[in-house]
Amino acid sequence: MDLFALSMIVPQLIIAAGIVLAMLLVAWRRSQQLIANFTLFTLILSLVATIHGFGFDKISVTMLLAVDDYSRFAFILVLSASIVCLYLSKIMLKQVEDVHDEYYLLLLLVVLGAGILVVSDHFASLFLGFELLSIAIVGLVGYCRKAPNAVETGFKYLILSASASSFMLLGIAFMYAQTGDLSFTQTGLENVTLLKISLLYQIGFMLFFSGVAFKLSLVPFHFWTPDVYQGASSPVAMLLATVSKCAMFIVLLKCCYTATNLMLLQNDKLFEFIAWIAILSMIVGNSLALKQQSIKRLLAYSSIAHMGYLLIVLLISDSKGLNMAWQSVLFYLTAYLLANASIFTVITLMNRDSEVYQDITINDWRGLFWQQPLRATLLIFSLLSFAGIPLTAGFIGKFYLITLAANQALWALLAALIIGSGIALAYYLPVIFSLFSLEKPRDDLPPASMSILEKCAVILLIFTGLAIGIFPNAIGRVLQAI
Amino acid sequence: MIISLLMIGLVFSGGFAWYMETKRSGQAKFIALLATIILGSSFTLYIATSPESYAELVLLTKVTWISVFNIHYMIALDHLSILLLLLTFILTVVAILISWREITHRQGFYYFNLLTTIAGIIGVFTAVDMFLFFFFWEVMLLPMTALIAIWGHENRHFAAIKFFIFTQVSSLLMLIAIILMAFIHQQQEGQLSFAYQDWLTLTLPADYSYYLMLGFFIAFAVKLPSFPVHSWLPDAHTQAPTAGSVLLAGILLKTGAYGLIRFVIVLFPQASEEFAPIAAVLALISILYGAKMAFAQTDFKRLVAYSSISHMGFVMLALFAFNANAFQGVIITLVAHGLSSAALFTFAGMIYARIHSRDLREMGGFWRASPVMGGFALAFVAAAFGMPGLANFIGEFYSLIGAFQRFPLITILAALGIIGSAIYGMLLFQSSFQGPVKNSFIDLSIRERFIATSLFIFLLVLGLFPNLILQYSFNGGL
Repeated sequence: MDLFALSMIVPQLIIAAGIVLAMLLVAWRRSQQLIANFTLFTLILSLVATIHGFGFDKISVTMLLAVDDYSRFAFILVLSASIVCLYLSKIMLKQVEDVHDEYYLLLLLVVLGAGILVVSDHFASLFLGFELLSIAIVGLVGYCRKAPNAVETGFKYLILSASASSFMLLGIAFMYAQTGDLSFTQTGLENVTLLKISLLYQIGFMLFFSGVAFKLSLVPFHFWTPDVYQGASSPVAMLLATVSKCAMFIVLLKCCYTATNLMLLQNDKLFEFIAWIAILSMIVGNSLALKQQSIKRLLAYSSIAHMGYLLIVLLISDSKGLNMAWQSVLFYLTAYLLANASIFTVITLMNRDSEVYQDITINDWRGLFWQQPLRATLLIFSLLSFAGIPLTAGFIGKFYLITLAANQALWALLAALIIGSGIALAYYLPVIFSLFSLEKPRDDLPPASMSILEKCAVILLIFTGLAIGIFPNAIGRVLQAI
Repeated sequence: MIISLLMIGLVFSGGFAWYMETKRSGQAKFIALLATIILGSSFTLYIATSPESYAELVLLTKVTWISVFNIHYMIALDHLSILLLLLTFILTVVAILISWREITHRQGFYYFNLLTTIAGIIGVFTAVDMFLFFFFWEVMLLPMTALIAIWGHENRHFAAIKFFIFTQVSSLLMLIAIILMAFIHQQQEGQLSFAYQDWLTLTLPADYSYYLMLGFFIAFAVKLPSFPVHSWLPDAHTQAPTAGSVLLAGILLKTGAYGLIRFVIVLFPQASEEFAPIAAVLALISILYGAKMAFAQTDFKRLVAYSSISHMGFVMLALFAFNANAFQGVIITLVAHGLSSAALFTFAGMIYARIHSRDLREMGGFWRASPVMGGFALAFVAAAFGMPGLANFIGEFYSLIGAFQRFPLITILAALGIIGSAIYGMLLFQSSFQGPVKNSFIDLSIRERFIATSLFIFLLVLGLFPNLILQYSFNGGL
């Protein structure tokens, strides 16, 4: 491994070094402000390093990792989401008197796990990243242990997550038994046609996929999602929705977009398996969101549907569509992350203002537009982005997906996407309407107090969303150039 | 440039109105009215002084927008779009005037939404890049939905959601068709293109041009609306504030007809030819079913809404007859129905302002207290059922003549719809203005008289001199 190859994973190394230093920092002096700033510094440094690395070709760093611009872009998304999460965590943790060094350590560990996932090129590194991410998130989910349901939520996530990883391990073992190689590319493989009919390999792939599907909360592995979203604190729920899902999806693509697995996906059974999961996720996720009152539960169900939409890209049939598929995924994830970050920012700010409500329901937002127009505008645009309405980034993301699916003639999935989007409007719109409600809002709604910095952050989020939605070329060109 | 300036101007004056309303209440409506009149007249001036004839589409602006998909910001004008834009401006002024007293809360935001809806509609009528068209098609929905959902009547949220979902789902089908057309262009010419003019040169594969056409057709049929995808319309119309109903009936329905003319029939001549019998049957059902349903209503606005379905059926029937007469009929009907239905909805709004009800059973005997209003109402009802001398008659006459050449039986049955429209029209008039007096009532104010008079003059002039419109070529459909 030469120095150049090593320089490609500098962003990940920065995070790793940051974790060690953070621990030393904790030993030296326990101060919330200090550790938060240090974490922010590490994340920004890593972000700069990632952006700086843009433009290099795909390079393998040992046999475990392979870095290309797709993974860099994904890591930028992960880092940006983490920075937002860090900011929200700071707001949330201010209310509690203890010093929370461990929280920031766990956050960095999550980022490291995601960082490894997006560059992994080998089942071993995949599993390493997967576990790093999961275990750190379990810690975060149950972090505020005095909050109602925190322990239950943590346990739920821990147990389901552990069983998911054991399924995944079993699947990887099955696949290894057939190929004798754990790297994604499986260079040593000669007889692909034999694999296509090998039952063991197919079962192995399905098991592996189920493990990933758990993390992506695809139907039927979605049951944990609403409870964990609701039970976890808002910044952690945001972390689950963004960093964890983004990294898992990227690694899934890296694994599936190898020559062998692409051929394998032509196999009717596997194709149908994934197509059904996608269709079910779109329909079930959206339908279950219909009657939700709690915003977080609603977001949880809608995230199921969004992952279902994204799964379309896994079903492309030829390697020519690969570039387009990568672009679609990354654009969609950008839009999805941005919308999630926006909504969770508002939720966290409102949680801070009220202190009483742990869980925000649609009713709490009644008439928000007339009282706190800035926050409400942010909410409106992010909800519209989720619904895929023009002017927002979500529409362009959906346009990418539809283009890809139409190009690959995936009619059944397109139909599910349209039905899903139709159902989705039936729960996004009422939320938006309640923001505009003219009835007297709740009297006990605390007054909004936002510092200049928070106002700037909200305005920045609104403008970023609109800018990407109206001038998608800026990001589209970057993705195209990769 | 002028169109882009119009849209920007509308959005900005909307924003300005909103801002000024927060400073001193009651200003927004003046700003909105002034902005619409200024922008509308500058557009008219521009067209009148322009050296172009606009017989064919004239490309005004072309700027690269999304290079990844070769999407451009392309705006073009021809006679059809100019006519519809003029109608839009007239009805906007009506919509603002009718909201003058009706909207009492959140006025600034109301006028902002009203003007942005208009900006979106202008975009729809002028965009010739299909992605851009789709963009405006969806964007105009947002403020329109807000108008219904915030300032509507008792069941407004349900109506707004229904309206939005119907349009959104159907337009996603259109989006897929648009993307597939771009791919066909890529196969034949080597690169993706969403430009309307590029698509005109394509030779479409016969086997799936039918499905592509259906993708567009469904989206426009929902907007038109045609049976069986009409059910959003009565709800949306009934629940919307008066100005919302005026815009919906007067202009938004016309975007559906515009789409059928410009895209379905022109881009897919063979497929639409094949599809014509089905479309004609759907149109016939819309005509008769709309008339029947209108007759059964007891809600003033709902009755007018169902009559719109019936009248738009004539538009669809004539469009799929593919001949010059029918096509002229379509154009006139679009304008005439825009004006007359807008007039009826403004009357619904005026009555609601006086007795706070839309229920026909609670009305009656208005004539005694308000003969002027009664006279106008009778005139507009007569216009709606196609009284000779008013514009609707010319439109329906031409449509039926044209359609008869192609679908004789269906046209004969469709003509029954006109009788139906006379029945429900008289029902509407009699139950509200005649009979025993049930409420105290006051006659039209000066502002209301102005609205009614100007709409009536437009209808009368077009009815007597249809050549004012017919002299221009609308050969887009043939």
